[in-house]
Amino acid sequence: MKLIKTREENLEENYLELHYDKIDEETNAVLDRLRDTLRYIEGTYEDKKVTIALTDIFYIETVDRKTFAYTKDMSVEIKEALKDILEEYSKIGFVRISKSVIVNIFKIKKLQGDINMRVIIFLKNDEKLIMNRSYKNDFYKRLNDLKGRSAK
Amino acid sequence: MKLINKRNFISIVCIFFTLITCGKLLYERALNFTDRYYTDNIFTILGFSVLITLILSLHFYLQKFPFWLVIIAQYALTVGIVFLAIFIHGRFSTNAPTAYWDMFVSITIPFLIGALVYYICFFVQIKRANKVLEKLNSEE
Repeated sequence: MKLIKTREENLEENYLELHYDKIDEETNAVLDRLRDTLRYIEGTYEDKKVTIALTDIFYIETVDRKTFAYTKDMSVEIKEALKDILEEYSKIGFVRISKSVIVNIFKIKKLQGDINMRVIIFLKNDEKLIMNRSYKNDFYKRLNDLKGRSAK
Repeated sequence: MKLINKRNFISIVCIFFTLITCGKLLYERALNFTDRYYTDNIFTILGFSVLITLILSLHFYLQKFPFWLVIIAQYALTVGIVFLAIFIHGRFSTNAPTAYWDMFVSITIPFLIGALVYYICFFVQIKRANKVLEKLNSEE
């Protein structure tokens, strides 16, 4: 299977197009991953129902038994519990960093350690999150899994 | 994730015991020193290995507290228990004149080495993770 990337200026939205004769195993595997990645989640924002792409979510947090998904400019209240989100979307980059926060690995700019041996996560939207020490090993394992997957 | 659990407890005690005993023997060899209390000291090392593994296994339950506070508290607890054991031992038999100092050194050196290794590993892990993140971000 070939991958051809074409840059088009002033494109409204990026899109993928698949050209095929028969869908073989390899193509099916790519489609499976795409289906996961291009999934959407419903929630409420300022009393309105909204649909957001999972890939737009920076992190998901539980506050007072309510779950919020944070995108670049919205905090959307969603119905799913953190546990369910992890079960369903961990393979597309969502990983737990504390009891109440799940982060999207693809939205992390960098990590930094502090004097108390806590890991500070700098997100691409310039927000900072603190990783709990007990979730550190799982986080690094997940990150290495993604690295291995992207190398394939 | 618990690093020290029921399954690996004994093997970690054995690793501590072997490392401390080897260190003791090498140190004595270097100084050409003969240990008159060899049997007593070997069992002290075994007791110390069990104690240190027990105290380090508490680390998992203390994650919400600052790291250095946990390390210092664990160190103080270890020193306290060992000094208490020496004190009780001294009630029934004669302690070596340098018993407290010797045990203080025996506890402090492994703790310092352990803390240093943890500190280095912590920052090495972050450095590696940042490289992976850089790679993932460049692929986007």
